[in-house]
Amino acid sequence: MTDHLVEVTQLRKEFGGLVATNDIDFTVERGSIVSLIGPNGAGKTTFFNQLTGVYQPTSGSILFDGVEVVGMPPHAITALGIGRTFQNIRLFAQMTALENVLVGMHSCLHGGILGSIFRTPKVRREEAAAREKARELLVYSGLPKRHEEQAGSLPYGDQRRLEVARALATDPKLLLLDEPTAGMNPQETATFIAFVRRVRDEKQLTVLLIEHDMKVVMGVSERCTVLEYGEKIAEGTPAVIQSNERVIEAYLGKGAVG
Amino acid sequence: MTGLRHRAWSAAGNRNTVAVVVLLVLALIYPTIVGSLQLVPVIGDFVPKTDSMVVMVVFTTMAIGLNMVVGYAGLLDLGYVAFYAVGAYTAGWFASQQFSQVSIDFGAAGIPDGLPGIHISMWLVLPVAGALTMLAGTAIGIPTLRLRGDYLAIVTLGFGEIVPQVVRNADNVYGFDLTHGTFGITPIDSLGFGAVGAALGLPESFRQSSDRAQWYFWFAVVILLITVFCSVRLRDSRLGRAWIAIREDETAAAAMGVPLMRTKTWAYAIGAFFGGVAGAFYASFKGGAFPADFYFNISVFLLCMVILGGVGSVWGVILGGMLLSYLNVEGLANIGSTIQATGLAFDPTKYQFGIYGSIIVLMMLFRPAGLIPERRHRVEMEEGVHDTPFYDVQREGTLTDRDGSDD
Amino acid sequence: MLPRLRGARVTDLIGLTLLGLLLIWLAVNFVKGPAAFIDISLIGLTNGTIYGVVALGYTLVYGILQLINFAHGDVFALSGLVASTVIVSVLGLDEGSSALVIIGGLAVTLVVIMVGFSLFNASIERVAYRPLRNAPRLAPLITAVGMSFVVENISLALYGVNYRTVPNLISHSDVIHIGGITYSWSKASVLIIVIPLLVVLSWFVRSTKQGKAMRAVAQDTEASAMMGIDVDHTIAVTFLIAGALAGAAGIVYLMQFNMRFDTGFELGLIAFTAAVLGGIGNLSGAVLGALCIGFIQAFNEGLGWFAPGSDWTRSMVFGILILVLVFRPEGILGEQTPEGA
Repeated sequence: MTDHLVEVTQLRKEFGGLVATNDIDFTVERGSIVSLIGPNGAGKTTFFNQLTGVYQPTSGSILFDGVEVVGMPPHAITALGIGRTFQNIRLFAQMTALENVLVGMHSCLHGGILGSIFRTPKVRREEAAAREKARELLVYSGLPKRHEEQAGSLPYGDQRRLEVARALATDPKLLLLDEPTAGMNPQETATFIAFVRRVRDEKQLTVLLIEHDMKVVMGVSERCTVLEYGEKIAEGTPAVIQSNERVIEAYLGKGAVG
Repeated sequence: MTGLRHRAWSAAGNRNTVAVVVLLVLALIYPTIVGSLQLVPVIGDFVPKTDSMVVMVVFTTMAIGLNMVVGYAGLLDLGYVAFYAVGAYTAGWFASQQFSQVSIDFGAAGIPDGLPGIHISMWLVLPVAGALTMLAGTAIGIPTLRLRGDYLAIVTLGFGEIVPQVVRNADNVYGFDLTHGTFGITPIDSLGFGAVGAALGLPESFRQSSDRAQWYFWFAVVILLITVFCSVRLRDSRLGRAWIAIREDETAAAAMGVPLMRTKTWAYAIGAFFGGVAGAFYASFKGGAFPADFYFNISVFLLCMVILGGVGSVWGVILGGMLLSYLNVEGLANIGSTIQATGLAFDPTKYQFGIYGSIIVLMMLFRPAGLIPERRHRVEMEEGVHDTPFYDVQREGTLTDRDGSDD
Repeated sequence: MLPRLRGARVTDLIGLTLLGLLLIWLAVNFVKGPAAFIDISLIGLTNGTIYGVVALGYTLVYGILQLINFAHGDVFALSGLVASTVIVSVLGLDEGSSALVIIGGLAVTLVVIMVGFSLFNASIERVAYRPLRNAPRLAPLITAVGMSFVVENISLALYGVNYRTVPNLISHSDVIHIGGITYSWSKASVLIIVIPLLVVLSWFVRSTKQGKAMRAVAQDTEASAMMGIDVDHTIAVTFLIAGALAGAAGIVYLMQFNMRFDTGFELGLIAFTAAVLGGIGNLSGAVLGALCIGFIQAFNEGLGWFAPGSDWTRSMVFGILILVLVFRPEGILGEQTPEGA
């Protein structure tokens, strides 16, 4: 019996009359890197948003590490161990890179109101340790400097790296990456793929990513799941998926097949 | 690199310390020198009396409190006056003859023995008022803070209107006089050093001493300093970071583990605390709490201080607060008499809220970050932010929502 | 999932209980004095109609810009004051004027005021709101609060602190008089003026090209821009219409009550509450919500059995606003765009 970190059953989300995710069953094995692919509007980000509590599913269940997370607020789900990035970078643009990462540590820190006002030794120590850890995370994620610069003024690639650092700061078991290589050149993409593998190995994470770039999917993921119009149309190893007719059809249109 | 930055930081820190010390010395000597300042030709007419300075400092304290809600957490509160009211009435309940059914004296300064009513020492009443106001803020916040920004604004405005109407009408709650209706509660006890202070040659009660304004002024400054201190410390803490994160992007903040409701409620409650303390202090200075003091315009007046000074910027809000409350208590009248001396029949005090309104509009249009912008806010106000609210009652569950986030 | 569902049920339960108590209260009052009850209802209908016209201005602007245009209530008040000048000083109408002169004079006033204030309102948008189109969400809202004070002080500068009123141009004789129930021509005139306006507005939004553009922009500004709709122009038109409605409301209000520079603040809040109650952005909702508020206010101030009275009107209006936002933020009709019109 495989060890599933995520077990989604019959997940359904309707917006008005439109079904965004249609009774999806889905599992992620602990320690694996899984890709979620599909054409535009297939419901991938909606799926992520349900996983992280941004949307309430219409029906269905999501077990994360054995805990039902449907109905939990986003911050509680994050505290359980799901960290994420966003498709359109959503950094706190006017905070420094370091502060962005510190916000990610919010649920791991404990400084209260009075402690913060009086800067008790405990809070002081915690803050210092958090800053130290945040700097390490930034360096680890490929941002060795510019920690005090406003996140919004960083170059695009650095912003993507910062988002990952911020997600890692939540101390996740599962890392959700929403089109992390969008806008990167092939060189950067290759570095990023290596980085994702390294993170997975060194931090014992499980990674679930949404990706458009087939090269990334093939290069990094051990399994992929294909969505189309809110439904799961295929699942398997990248090689299997690549030769699946329905997938080719979904991606390239009917004429491309046979 | 890091060393340099450390030095830059501490240089900024030193500058702040110097500024604080200079201002403190000025505050200390102000009551003594104000008389001579007023004799200076031309500008002397515009030097505020110590009495006016008390009011200015108290309103600035409220503006600092409001700044935590509006500036840090980005929650537009249009009913801050409600907190001022709760603070003032708390002082009325615990330090006046309002409840003359009983006679309680607990360390009150300058109160004759056996005076009816509850007379708790005003020094104790100040934090109690803060705490009660904090409770009120939490009670208001819990049902409403999940609303998106503009709805929150209108609901807080609603509370700001309900509270004064309640105090106005609560002079007969099933026969019990809670607020003394439109007459308000007066007199409210004075602050003072009590019998112990009197033995040391300090005034037993500020109100009965000849230096009433001076003592109130000094302690108003102390309260302002404490408020500023807490405000700065909180801004630079875990909680402050969470506030600013929420202000910039609620969804991302929630995804990073920031509990939205709790964090917003704290902003609201802490902002309320200082509003309550300032309200109680002011009630003691004025010697009363009157329902006519708590109208919508005061909330906008405070908001105007925050906007003029610079949303989120502590130094800015102090400047904006002192400037506008000066205009309010004395400045406009002084300017008016200067204008009228030239023969023009124009009274700027009549149009004070039009003036504040114009300041708000002009600032938003031409200098949205305020006179002294907050370091990070500057960019935000000029470039705009990605601030789709998380609890979006309008669009949640609609097609646009999905289109916006999924492609 | 379960706790959420239960939570929803609890709020529903509270909401329904409150509604039930309200109905019982109304029923008891009706039994105690049916004639007075109907009389009071007619007052509610009249006031509610006026609120509705103001509420439409809020809801139109909100629908298209997601902006609470705080200044709207003050534009309404200024329009009423200016109308008093037009009626009394310019046209010189009074009780003695012949019916034809009065009707003609009022029609002229209506046109002048509606045109004038639609331009005034659109210029507020042009000067104060348009430059902030891409600013953070709260910036235009704060500006609107400031604008509200500016407009209010224009009224103050022009008209001082005294209440203005116009002579009883429309006879207070009764349209109907059955038993203790009376309904005067002056009340009926509100409906006579407002209903045609609502019909025209509804036709405009549903059937004209400009109306369709408004609905499109309200639904999705970016997409509309891409489809070639001139968004700025459409927003300007919305403000023109809202201003015209404020002008019309100012006149009908003036015919019923006296008003001064700050009348618009309270009335604006009532009207905004009405718009939220009905479902902000929804035109029919605004009118429906306004009628509800009109009735509630009239019942509160007029009924004999357990009515809190006018001391509490403002608290009740805001209490309703808060309850609606907490329990049913989408309002009674719960649509988001003028489509629902």
